Amino acid sequence: MKGIYLVGCYPDADTFTRSFAAVAEAGFDFLEVGIPFNDPIADGPVIAGAIHESLARGVSPSHVMENIESLSHIPIKKYAMTYANIIHAYGIPEFSKRMTGLLEGVIIPDIPNRMARLFREKGFSLPIVPFATLETRESDMAMLNESESNIIYFVGVRGITGSKSDFTTPELVEKIRMIKDNTDKKVIIGFGIKTGSDARQACALGDGYVVGTEAVMRQKKPEALKAYLRSLI
Amino acid sequence: MRANKGFYGEYGGQFVPEILMPALDELEEAYRAFAADDSSMQEFHRYLSEYAGRPTPVYHSKNISAACGFELYLKREDLLHTGAHKVNNTIGQALLAKFMGKKRIIAETGAGQHGVATATAAALFGLKCRVYMGSVDIERQMPNVKKMELLGAEVFPVDDGLRTLKDAISAALKDWVTNVIDTHYLLGTVAGPHPFPEMVAFFHAVTGTEARGYFTTKGALPDYVVACVGGGSNAMGIFQGFLDDPGVTLVGVEAGGRSLAPGGNAATLTLGTPGIFQGALSYLLQNDSGQVVDVHSVSAGLDYPGIGPQHGYLKDAGRVRYTSVSDDQALSAFHELVRREGIIPALESSHALAWALDNAGELRGKRVLVNLSGRGDKDLGIIEQQNGVKR
Ligand SMILES: Cc1ncc(COP(=O)(O)O)c(C=O)c1O
Repeated sequence: MKGIYLVGCYPDADTFTRSFAAVAEAGFDFLEVGIPFNDPIADGPVIAGAIHESLARGVSPSHVMENIESLSHIPIKKYAMTYANIIHAYGIPEFSKRMTGLLEGVIIPDIPNRMARLFREKGFSLPIVPFATLETRESDMAMLNESESNIIYFVGVRGITGSKSDFTTPELVEKIRMIKDNTDKKVIIGFGIKTGSDARQACALGDGYVVGTEAVMRQKKPEALKAYLRSLI
Repeated sequence: MRANKGFYGEYGGQFVPEILMPALDELEEAYRAFAADDSSMQEFHRYLSEYAGRPTPVYHSKNISAACGFELYLKREDLLHTGAHKVNNTIGQALLAKFMGKKRIIAETGAGQHGVATATAAALFGLKCRVYMGSVDIERQMPNVKKMELLGAEVFPVDDGLRTLKDAISAALKDWVTNVIDTHYLLGTVAGPHPFPEMVAFFHAVTGTEARGYFTTKGALPDYVVACVGGGSNAMGIFQGFLDDPGVTLVGVEAGGRSLAPGGNAATLTLGTPGIFQGALSYLLQNDSGQVVDVHSVSAGLDYPGIGPQHGYLKDAGRVRYTSVSDDQALSAFHELVRREGIIPALESSHALAWALDNAGELRGKRVLVNLSGRGDKDLGIIEQQNGVKR
């Protein structure tokens, strides 16, 4: 499973739509659409910069949700990536109701697995993608497996978006192995995938990957983005 | 106040990246062991008394009392080493960091008081220390920046957002995510993910215990206890001494800034709504779509759009009254205390005093305890600037 993260409505709705279509055409399996929040504690300078730029231009979460709705005909799996407060402010059940049928699930970097339960209790019916990290313990796996999501998002770095994963470290390799041994879900490696070689290693070790920062960096230049997408596949 | 599975009513929780969860679990476990360990607690209290200068006095402020028609008492946290209540928490957490075997501590700071108190504890206990500080705050609290550097801490300027306290906390969280193995995040207020709110309140409880002790010795509790509220730590410190005394009215005073319109203040409990921010569900200054609103206060320690979850709970429960005073009210209370009592208070603490001075009608004849959370040396630049504006 190969995926790309793009900041929604960035740099504008039209360019975003073209980038979105390019990802689908290039043969990727899923797209993560970032809904901007102005305190993105898991994001490095590139993605945080794009988020702040969008917000300064007046983009709101509703705009991005409309954008996602308008792209529902494009045949690619869609996830939303946003922060907890965006969903909380919209209304936890209301957000999931509006996005049901459009999204496979949501990725919420400031909702750790333990807190996902709380969102479900409050009426969030879309799958919340569980996280695994370099710190995940075997005892955490039961909670991950409880999730309705069929993928696990493995954060391949100690750090924020824009850091680089190091596939030569035994720690990373062993951790992915431990997680795969303890779940039936697909393990998608995110945070830190930059090059075609990273991508291939992620597919060999796990079940796929998602690229964020390197794609967002090219969102203003659709041609450069297309060339980059080709280099991954 | 102990959290129930990390929550106070509906507020609190652990809204941080998954990678921090084992660190939060480790911290909670270590904190419980530390708090239950007699020799650790003795060491903590020994440092508070022999090093930081506890207990601090309660001063019956005669001149202002005579002028205002109520009995004003000041809990003199301004007399503590490093100049504010913050040192209670930094000594506690630095000891805990050592207890956990961490070699490096990081902190955020707004006014620089927590940064100085952290750098001080780092020097004392031989820990490496980096303090994140918004570049706007660096400019307006320069004396504290110089102190931190003298103490051997690295002051790391944060140029994101409004370049103030919120941005410093985000930067510190990002550092912690990256360096979680050897680093303890020494958070400076009762905000953030569980167990920080409970733990920071625990280390500050000594303020309320001492204050209550003073009044029980005198034979009567105060009618009012007033504290300023930024993230909420000094207020939790003193309120904890009186939560179970229904006859004591508790008042939390937020920064009303230059206006009560969005962007003009930092009055989170007064004007905010529940939201999830920097680790916890609590009140938050946010717009309709959940974006965090810009904040302003003349006081660098109060301009924060979030608030500790205990305060959200205490507000909804009706146990504490939350209100705000403006920049100008705080500034005139500052001058009042300087001229009438010869005490230079922090601009943060001046907010609590301002509420009392400006509500003399309601307070007539009452015993009013104001938590003087810190001293104002750090604010002389701002005061000078304000005088210039007025002239
Ligand atoms: C003297 C003083 N009082 C109050 C505060 C506000 O913080 P809190 O609300 O956590 O007590 C600060 C923060 O820097 C401070 O320096």
